Amino acid sequence: MVTDRYARQVLHWGAEKQKIIEESSLLIAGVGGLGATVSQLLVRAGIGRLFLVDDGRLDWPDLNRQTLYGENDVGRAKLPLAKERLNQINSATEIVEMQGRIDESFQVPKAIDGVADCLDNYQSRFALYNGLATGTYFVHGGLDGDHGQLLTLVAGESQAFGTIFAGAVQPQGSIPVTPDNVVIIAGLMANELFSVLWKTPKLLNRCLVISLADFHISFLDV
Amino acid sequence: MIQIQFFSLIRMLLKQDAAEIPWEAGDTVQSVLEKTQAKIVTPFLHKLLDEQGEPHTGTIIMVNRKNILHLQGLQTPVADKDVLAFFPPGAGG
Repeated sequence: MVTDRYARQVLHWGAEKQKIIEESSLLIAGVGGLGATVSQLLVRAGIGRLFLVDDGRLDWPDLNRQTLYGENDVGRAKLPLAKERLNQINSATEIVEMQGRIDESFQVPKAIDGVADCLDNYQSRFALYNGLATGTYFVHGGLDGDHGQLLTLVAGESQAFGTIFAGAVQPQGSIPVTPDNVVIIAGLMANELFSVLWKTPKLLNRCLVISLADFHISFLDV
Repeated sequence: MIQIQFFSLIRMLLKQDAAEIPWEAGDTVQSVLEKTQAKIVTPFLHKLLDEQGEPHTGTIIMVNRKNILHLQGLQTPVADKDVLAFFPPGAGG
């Protein structure tokens, strides 16, 4: 491995935090809009291992925001593509593919340091959270148009995700999502995931609500 | 006083992120909602309640961090200094 590839970020967060990142494992649930960028940022930072879950194939409307893929990938399964692209970015990260849709039967891998909820529907989010071992960090991200939110929970200690978001239903049809808004929320998720790995989450039981229409930020304690 | 917090699309619609409503004995989420609507010119109840007057799916209503669907819904009692939050989360990813 090139020894100075992390030099610029180590200048910022230091060697000790870098070492933690390199020794950590995260589950990325979904490698679509949020997941493609979240996983990419984690890999660029030198995360030790990523478990990726997805069951989708790339379609043309995905290309506006799913930053790991291009035109030649349309029609192909996202999961092996994501692994291929992430390996090209940083071969030091171990990428573990978990093909399939997240439902109540999903087995969350053991020995992970946290989960990034990059899913696009509540049913899968509820199932994912319900499958977590007590003490597992869960970083949720979601958005709709100009509006997005992030929230960190600890399974078994925080209010359950399904309890907080009870009544939230999936809108009919496609949800409006733009390249910039998705990447902004994904970047904030990556930022929070690093903090989770360092055991200093900023959004534990605190939902960050962002309106990009007017750059308004607020917090909802849960 | 009862603290009201508006998030996301509700905040944008009302052009304000908070309101205060004087507390009265017997207040519930529903009565606080009605008093809030009376105080705010912009109609917003239709964003929170369906045609039957029930909480609109998609908007989370919380009292002191608890989703009212786990309490007594719109009939959840509200005490002085309670915090009500109205939050329509984004589902996409």
